[in-house]
Amino acid sequence: MSSTTQQYGDLATQLLTESRRSTATDTLLKYNDVLVRAVIREQRQLEALLQAGLAAAPDTDDDPGAPPNPALSTVLLYQTAINRNKRCLLAYHAHRIERLKDLYWRVGGALPLLLSMAAPAAQTAGQAHDSAHAPQPAAAAPAPADVRSKLSPHEVDFLRSYNASLLALRTDAFSSATAADPGAPSEDVDLMAPIDRPPRGLTVHVRVVRDCGVVHTEQGAIDFRRGHRFLVRRGDVEHLIVQGYLEEA
Amino acid sequence: MADSWLNADLDAPYAGPSFVDRASSEVAEETPFQQLIRHWMNERHSPDILTGQEILLGRILDHVRKQSDDVQLLRADPDSSEEEHFRIMLVQTEVERVKFVVRSYIRTRLHKIEKYARWISATPESHEKLSKAELDHARRYARLLEYHLTQSVLQSLPPEQRSLTDSVPFMPPMIPEPDKMRPVFVHARQQCPPVRLPDGTAIAMEKGRISLTPYYVVEQLLARGEVELI
Repeated sequence: MSSTTQQYGDLATQLLTESRRSTATDTLLKYNDVLVRAVIREQRQLEALLQAGLAAAPDTDDDPGAPPNPALSTVLLYQTAINRNKRCLLAYHAHRIERLKDLYWRVGGALPLLLSMAAPAAQTAGQAHDSAHAPQPAAAAPAPADVRSKLSPHEVDFLRSYNASLLALRTDAFSSATAADPGAPSEDVDLMAPIDRPPRGLTVHVRVVRDCGVVHTEQGAIDFRRGHRFLVRRGDVEHLIVQGYLEEA
Repeated sequence: MADSWLNADLDAPYAGPSFVDRASSEVAEETPFQQLIRHWMNERHSPDILTGQEILLGRILDHVRKQSDDVQLLRADPDSSEEEHFRIMLVQTEVERVKFVVRSYIRTRLHKIEKYARWISATPESHEKLSKAELDHARRYARLLEYHLTQSVLQSLPPEQRSLTDSVPFMPPMIPEPDKMRPVFVHARQQCPPVRLPDGTAIAMEKGRISLTPYYVVEQLLARGEVELI
């Protein structure tokens, strides 16, 4: 064929290797735009070759006695390569989506937090709910640093829409209609809270690893300053633990 | 007055008999929370999406809400005794545990719904198992995924290669669907009518028996609540 050192499908195999690596090391690798484009180029080239091959092959379907057309095996080869490449491309993207969703759930659905993770040392001590500008402490979660730069623009869009869809689901299904103020989320069950382990007890000892300002809890307002320790109700601070502001001590 | 309801509530819906007792207890005696636990385990073990337990969930959530309100009320009452405080704590802990199961149940369903979103959109028979909100989410998610794949990959490919529903011989279909052949462990909660195994023989599971079968064999029994997955 045209290329000397490479077979069709080599590039796509590289894509798959990346996916496997990503799973094996539990990290999110950077979106490999160059490689994806290269595979897509190969697809176009293959399609052209395929069409040429089809045009060259006379139609012998009507005549069952005719010897098999030698061009058919060429066509089959191209078609197989095309199918495989396409499958690899889609698998690569679908795999990334799964990983992104994992990350999304791991930070308790705090999308702004996820996207801005490890933004350069922003010491924002705002409200706890305004987590948009707070960096994720590196040690708190296996979530990799600087997620945003590893995503393709389409993936950011996907996450945004996904977030919106889940929000709609939650408002549709699990919010109590009795809430007095519409602004506050009034869920009976916080879907985003972790489901790894059932709760052991009501309260939890936490160590503050990052300032998160004054938070209103059942015992009153607590000013979470870095390095301090508190004994608080788990339900009050669950989201802060998930997002990496507090650590269970 | 506080005493009476706290006692009643602690005994009734949540603090049920342990797992071992549960296996031997009668079906009719299941409390709502035990039912939820059973549906939760079924859902977690089943490859397919099971019928959603909206009514049960609603009942439990109503109860949780009521108890939380009562707890708030009691905590605000300065006259409550030390012993009452201890009971309040127990109730609160129990509420948290119930919430955990509810959460896990919903999330398990959600995971499967997203996994099979495109199959759900294309299969009307699966719709009745989902709540309206879940179905909406499944549709949105299927659209979202297709849109994303189109944007990232398919639109750059030649027009002949853009379909998301190819069926190529010897390749798995492009729309993932639940694998009903997957083996599951089932525990018979009562005497079951005979089911046909893949090799053609039939077995009737008596109460308490545990078997390993492909999921589709026990699908109907599970839907009727005669068996549970473990």
